[in-house]
Amino acid sequence: MFKAIVSASTLRDALDSVSVLVDECKLRLEEDELAIRAVDPANVGMVDLALEAAAFESYEADGGVIGVNLNRLEDIVGMANSGDLVQLELDEETRKLHIQIEELSYTLALIDPDSIREEPDIPDLDLPAEIVLEGAQIGRGITAADMVSDHIRLRVDTDAEAFFIEAEGDTDDVDLKLERDDLIDLQSGPADSLFSLDYLKDMNKAIPSDAEVRVELGEEFPVKLHYEFGEGMGQVTYMLAPRIQSD
Amino acid sequence: MKLDDYVEFEENERAERRRLASEKSYELVDHLESFQHRFEEATSGDALFGSVSPSIFVGTSNYPDVSTGILSPVGREGDADRFETSAAWYDERVSISDVFDRRTSLLNSNRPAEVTEVADAWDGFLGTQREVAIADRPVDVEIGLDDGPTLDFDVTDDDVATPTGPRARARSAELAENPHVPRPIKKTLEDDDWNAQGAMTYLYRRGFDVYDINSVLSAGALGRGENRRLVPTRWSITAVDDTVGKFLRGTVRDAPSVDSVEVWRNEYLGNAFWVVLAPGDWEYELVEMKAPGSIWNPDPEVGVAMSSAHENREGRTGYVDETAGAYYAARFGALEHLSERGRQAKVLVLRHVSDDYWGPVGVWQVREAVRNAFEGEHGEAETLGAAVREVADHLPVSLGRLRSKSTMVAGLQSSLSDFATGRP
Repeated sequence: MFKAIVSASTLRDALDSVSVLVDECKLRLEEDELAIRAVDPANVGMVDLALEAAAFESYEADGGVIGVNLNRLEDIVGMANSGDLVQLELDEETRKLHIQIEELSYTLALIDPDSIREEPDIPDLDLPAEIVLEGAQIGRGITAADMVSDHIRLRVDTDAEAFFIEAEGDTDDVDLKLERDDLIDLQSGPADSLFSLDYLKDMNKAIPSDAEVRVELGEEFPVKLHYEFGEGMGQVTYMLAPRIQSD
Repeated sequence: MKLDDYVEFEENERAERRRLASEKSYELVDHLESFQHRFEEATSGDALFGSVSPSIFVGTSNYPDVSTGILSPVGREGDADRFETSAAWYDERVSISDVFDRRTSLLNSNRPAEVTEVADAWDGFLGTQREVAIADRPVDVEIGLDDGPTLDFDVTDDDVATPTGPRARARSAELAENPHVPRPIKKTLEDDDWNAQGAMTYLYRRGFDVYDINSVLSAGALGRGENRRLVPTRWSITAVDDTVGKFLRGTVRDAPSVDSVEVWRNEYLGNAFWVVLAPGDWEYELVEMKAPGSIWNPDPEVGVAMSSAHENREGRTGYVDETAGAYYAARFGALEHLSERGRQAKVLVLRHVSDDYWGPVGVWQVREAVRNAFEGEHGEAETLGAAVREVADHLPVSLGRLRSKSTMVAGLQSSLSDFATGRP
């Protein structure tokens, strides 16, 4: 059983954060939250999303799992104005999701959740550095890096107490230095990792520029990016595997 | 790894190539003049003449209103099949001069066409052109030229940059024989409910090389009926390399990876290729280093020009700006090898274009050099980094510059499962 009403903008933010990585995913309709966890087919990027029941106008669920085509679902939700409410209701008989937006109703065929790739084991990482900053600051670093390279280096200089976003191109370089005062918070520790900009650019698309982003970073370890949406009642964690320098 | 044990540098050929480079424009004019002579003998001034056509050419300019033509080695019909670009050119080890000679020996009898016209054209010029493209050997044709047999001989810088032969505006083209068409190609032609990608892959699996598929695609003989159109030769080549490459990539998607780092090398027509295979999930990059004095180096004053393009396991989403068709041609060559072995790998292709590469011969040169790089012996290294350090000694750029241009040299993509059990 699943029946919920949610604002179109909250639902859109939730779906966007997942669709940058995968085309289809499983929605876990828990009693107290809607949860999505998905890993891209290359097993390089992961998203873990939770939208609390309180983020909905109304929410009833009993722990079922459904599979959806995200592009299709996003298109439908895209029909709503941002102030509109979206009603979702699962028809257990037909295994279809009824979506009602104002006078528009849509019946979405679901995907067998068993046909969607299993999420692999997620690394349980305890990363030495933590940087808290605004989404806009990361976005700025990523946009600049993208002008010169297709990979990006994130590192913390423990002596200088600063977070660096760097990219090196054939002829041009980009360097964004954010000192403790520029950041919301910095837990300094040895951290230096290289990442594919393809992935990071996509993740960045979903991160609101005014969101507070908590970055956990290590030395040639996956990075974790945490942020909230939907007035704090939605939480997203991205995890991205690094590019490893070969000696 | 002892690269020098199996690598022979062709130092002694360089002087000869340099001489040719300085003479390239004269040589082209010479070729064209000797063509004109043969042409006049063959046609004796008639607008209608018989020849043999091994291939077709569809131009890019003015797309979708293109110029489309039938190529024929007028006066040299006896060995017409040698004039068609194919893997055999590599086996013959044709030189840059040979390529110029062959290309400029082909008369392009062309007419304007709107690319979609071909869908319903079964006779006339486009019909004849299609038959030439799908036949498995050169076809006897009778070509009628407009305004008498006049040739377009203005040699411009463009012609030197991309050697093309003489052109003449055609009024008609008729088959002078019933051409032989292989059964699988007939099948793809007749099935107009088969999308072009699927049909291309089918032909490749049936043993047709990308050159054959390219010509069939270019003539508008593949794809769903309403979608069939003439495809400019240059685009068609890349479309086939890309499509067949994706198919091959699929065949190794879940294959085990190579066990160790392998370094393969080949050199052809002033282009040296280093192909480094490393263990792990599919990832591919082409890095090009173009020496000052080689063609395509935009600013020789600045030194070696670098370009690169890269894809991870899921392939590329964006267009390959910097390396264009060479990216897909080299990827195809590497994937064909991996698919035959039933292995996947991280593949780094380093291409050094030396100043001996004085005339552009076409992307087939990249495809064949990479395809054939896996013949003979190879070097091994502990890591990709170690392999690249050794190769860098033979490259015209520093390791540091290579690292800042190459995504794979900077770092190889890991996967989350690599960290599933560990902690920092």
